[in-house]
Amino acid sequence: MAVLTQPGSGPMIHLPGEDDPQPPRRRRRRGGHPAAAFAGYAVLVFFALVFLYPFVIQLGNAFKTEPDAAANPLSPIPSVLDLNSVQRIFDGTDFPLWLGNSTLVTIIVTLGRVFFASLAGYALARLKFSGRRVVFGAVVAMMAVPPVVLLIPKFLVLNQLGLYNSYAALIVPVLVDATGVFVMKQFFESIPVSVEEAARIDGVNAFRMFWSVVLPMARPALITVTIMSFQGSWNELPHTLVAVQDPALFTLPRGLADLVSGSLGKGSQYPLKLGAALLATIPVAIIFVVFQRYFVRGANEGAEKG
Amino acid sequence: MARRFLRRATVAGIAATALLTSAACGSGFDDDAESSQTSGPAALQILIGSSGEAETKAVQEAAASWASASGNTATVTPAQDLVQQLGQALAGDAPPDVFYVDAGRFADYASVGALEPYGDKLADAGDFYPSLRTAFTRDGKLYCAPKDFSTLALQVNTDLWTKAGLTDADIPTTWDQFTATARKLKAKGVTPLAIGDTRDRIGAFMRQNGGWITSPDGKQATADTPENLQALQYVKSLLTEGLARYPKQLDAGWAGEAFGKGSAAMTIEGNWIKGALQNDFPNVKYTVHPLPAGPKGQGTLSFTTCWGIAAKSKFKDQAIKFVEAMVSVEQQMSFAKGFGVMPSRQAARDQYTQAFPADKAFVDGAEYAQGPVNAPKMDSVLADFDTGLQGLDRGDPKALLERVQKNTQAALAG
Amino acid sequence: MATDVLAGPDDPRRAAPAEPPRRTRRRGGTRSGETAAGWLFVAPVIVILGLFMLLPILMALWVSLTDWNGQGSPFTSRVPLVGLDNYTDLFTRDGLARQNFMTSIRNNLYYVGIVVPVQTALALFLALVVNNRMLRGRGFFRAAFYFPSVTSSVAISVVFLFIFANAGAVNRLLALFGIDGPQWFADSRGVLHLLLGALGMDEPPRALTSGGPFGLAWWDWLSGPSVAMCSIIILVVWTTSGTFMLMFLAALQQVPETLEEAGKLDGATRWQRLRFITLPSLRPTMFLVLALGVIGSWQVFDQIYVMSQGDPAKTTLTPAYLSYRTAFRDFEYGSGAAISFVLFLIIILLTLGQRWLLRERDSGRRLRRRADRSGAETGRRS
Repeated sequence: MAVLTQPGSGPMIHLPGEDDPQPPRRRRRRGGHPAAAFAGYAVLVFFALVFLYPFVIQLGNAFKTEPDAAANPLSPIPSVLDLNSVQRIFDGTDFPLWLGNSTLVTIIVTLGRVFFASLAGYALARLKFSGRRVVFGAVVAMMAVPPVVLLIPKFLVLNQLGLYNSYAALIVPVLVDATGVFVMKQFFESIPVSVEEAARIDGVNAFRMFWSVVLPMARPALITVTIMSFQGSWNELPHTLVAVQDPALFTLPRGLADLVSGSLGKGSQYPLKLGAALLATIPVAIIFVVFQRYFVRGANEGAEKG
Repeated sequence: MARRFLRRATVAGIAATALLTSAACGSGFDDDAESSQTSGPAALQILIGSSGEAETKAVQEAAASWASASGNTATVTPAQDLVQQLGQALAGDAPPDVFYVDAGRFADYASVGALEPYGDKLADAGDFYPSLRTAFTRDGKLYCAPKDFSTLALQVNTDLWTKAGLTDADIPTTWDQFTATARKLKAKGVTPLAIGDTRDRIGAFMRQNGGWITSPDGKQATADTPENLQALQYVKSLLTEGLARYPKQLDAGWAGEAFGKGSAAMTIEGNWIKGALQNDFPNVKYTVHPLPAGPKGQGTLSFTTCWGIAAKSKFKDQAIKFVEAMVSVEQQMSFAKGFGVMPSRQAARDQYTQAFPADKAFVDGAEYAQGPVNAPKMDSVLADFDTGLQGLDRGDPKALLERVQKNTQAALAG
Repeated sequence: MATDVLAGPDDPRRAAPAEPPRRTRRRGGTRSGETAAGWLFVAPVIVILGLFMLLPILMALWVSLTDWNGQGSPFTSRVPLVGLDNYTDLFTRDGLARQNFMTSIRNNLYYVGIVVPVQTALALFLALVVNNRMLRGRGFFRAAFYFPSVTSSVAISVVFLFIFANAGAVNRLLALFGIDGPQWFADSRGVLHLLLGALGMDEPPRALTSGGPFGLAWWDWLSGPSVAMCSIIILVVWTTSGTFMLMFLAALQQVPETLEEAGKLDGATRWQRLRFITLPSLRPTMFLVLALGVIGSWQVFDQIYVMSQGDPAKTTLTPAYLSYRTAFRDFEYGSGAAISFVLFLIIILLTLGQRWLLRERDSGRRLRRRADRSGAETGRRS
């Protein structure tokens, strides 16, 4: 884990960015060719357009009338601002219900994942118990299991346990993810042992040690795991397909997927669909903007498992 | 060392036992117990595959009034994807008591024992149209009561028709006339026909040429007959000549949408198109006519759904009472007015044609309509057929029909 | 990992000289206490992973050996056991099951074959540009390229359905350049077939239509991805490149600056520095990105579910979606589970294979490079 540094030293992966103080020696060499710089910016702007314009189109067309959207799909600005589709998202679909379900499920799953991952991560990093290596090996093996091959299996188990079609089915199976455990374990291993040893002298038990001594130091990793869990759970579709079938239990991705596959009647109604998709994207977008550096870290740590 | 091993083994053992017991505690590994029947007030769960808000509301109201009159409760849930939801529910232990069963899927459910064959317990089961009874009969038993039915007919966009200089005399009644009219439309720059790319539309041409995928008793595969081949070659010629287009080619989710948008002058859809056009494209003016007859006469397809009752339901008696209320002439007429379906009872026929004279072409279709294939395990075969039909404009109809024949034989044998 | 280094000598807790021996004395007691605590702490993870990953896999393995039709419990004596039939149906028995499965394999092969190289190249390219220290505002661009990766695949699929509509944004854009865009999601024609058609080969050669491996004619194997699949490929490349760009960026950050500087002093051109200094040091990341790309690409599901459901003409059918459809729409749970396991096997084998390949090539090079690299190694961050 060469990318992990000590806690409190900022992002574990140091990425180039404007907030980096450049060493003075490099500043001097910075000039470069103006033509090369121009080409660099041209490339960046072109790709920024490619990567962001679809969202602009989405935003613009959500506020168009259907004929307008069909006639001018490229234009980001509605010829007439039409709030009808946005209105219909709330009146004509179960969007508020999906939003509520998604919020509930995401919060519980995220709390659970963070708590269980840090608990297990701490045990695997610090507590010397027999079987630890086996457990850790199993966790790593589980990370390699591709989720889509678990669809039918998960359905069988939920059914057999009598959990199928309930909030429990949406939440419990995804309450632990192996990657989170792995990330927390790696992080705890990077914390100096000395802190705990001092506390141990005071006779603190293992849970207290974990909860009041070690966990407060794990803030950066906790945020990373929180964000990974939030994003994963908010966007989850396949699991909901095999966990529930009652429309009252639909989450946003499931509801959206059904909007697209024709519960609107069979018409296209793109402004409405785009608007609903947009609303579903907003929470993640806000969190992305605020916690961007942690997303960056999450992406890389998710990768470390490979 | 030995102690450590022992401790490890104990821990592993405990973990394994915990897993197994928690698994076994759920619904158990054996479900031999027959579902016990409960009398008295029932709490019926009803799962429907709704065509839209209108249908959901109408069924919910009907169920509520039945419930309050009979002292039971009835919860109506509209499924977003009925096949999948019902499949998952049946695999579980608590399927809904009453649910829609599509005729095309009926054999799948009946053959695995998911359905209670209650049809003959109904007071006047003989009043349903014979072709609809056949659609829900297996091994001589009528399993469930047909809810309603629809047939395919030809819709013509009045404005596009007159704009292209066509008159009522141009409304095609045979394949040859259809080709001629379509060419006239195309010459004026109008796409003549929007047609769904599945056997549920194109199959009508096979009927008009005297063919079908299976024999009338559903026991033999008859896909690769010359009649079917000729029918598909005709449709292929329409597609390649640009006289017919699939909905996706017209940027529409289904043919009715393309028709509503005015992307095509004609379409072949069922009576559900009335409500859809009224909702989404209220300004479209159109007329409905019987499908043009083929070399072997008239032919259309019918679609129907029945009120299935789960074999595992705890409230079968109450469920049958509920279904009886739903298929009464009065209730069927109210559904017809609510969301535009045609009653499955012959007794309601006159009332219906009086109330909806414009639907004559649809109702008349009942006389010569072909229902969906009534055999289990056929869905993936037919889905494969649809795949072939999606590429019909470039594909080889003969090879396609041979493939369907082979797959149908395999499915019927298994 | 030298975890104690940062706790400096001024840390009073660290100074106690009596600590190490005392720890040894207490060791037995602490350990047994820690065993209980340790197992308690990992218990939730073990129970949930066991119940919802391990147990399901075992159950599904059982179901894949049966002909369970989805009625009641699959674990009764009444469920017919069919042995390996569900597996042989996929490979050796001529029929619809094999045809569908092999079609889905073909589709996914083309999908992987295009998505993985393209997204890797794009990610590397973007990382190199964003890593260019001359440019300002790199943080913004990095975020812009990464943003699609964090949004919901379902929401993005909705947007792309709109963009790739027949009269949608993409075709309007193409029309600006005088190109008549295809009917994306309605177009089942294979890209290779189209290319051959453009070269004047409209009818497939007889030799290719008659036979072929696994019941699919050579001509069908060689179709290339359909136009519809291409739009899904574009979507996926667009969403995943950002993630992989971040990995390359992290790796670029670790390329020792001294090496670059040395290259510059030696008068190496920009291209030479890239070719002989930067790229070789990105090898481990490159492998990681390729491996994750291949593994992820065999799992494509959400986009297929939302956008095409395997249509048109089965050309966007993938094994992951096929297994779902077979189980939950056709009620052939045994067959669906069998497809899942074959897919599982494919992914595991690919992972192992790639690992093995890298090890082989790496050990050879490592020997050669060890000498001149020793200096650079010290420049690395730990």
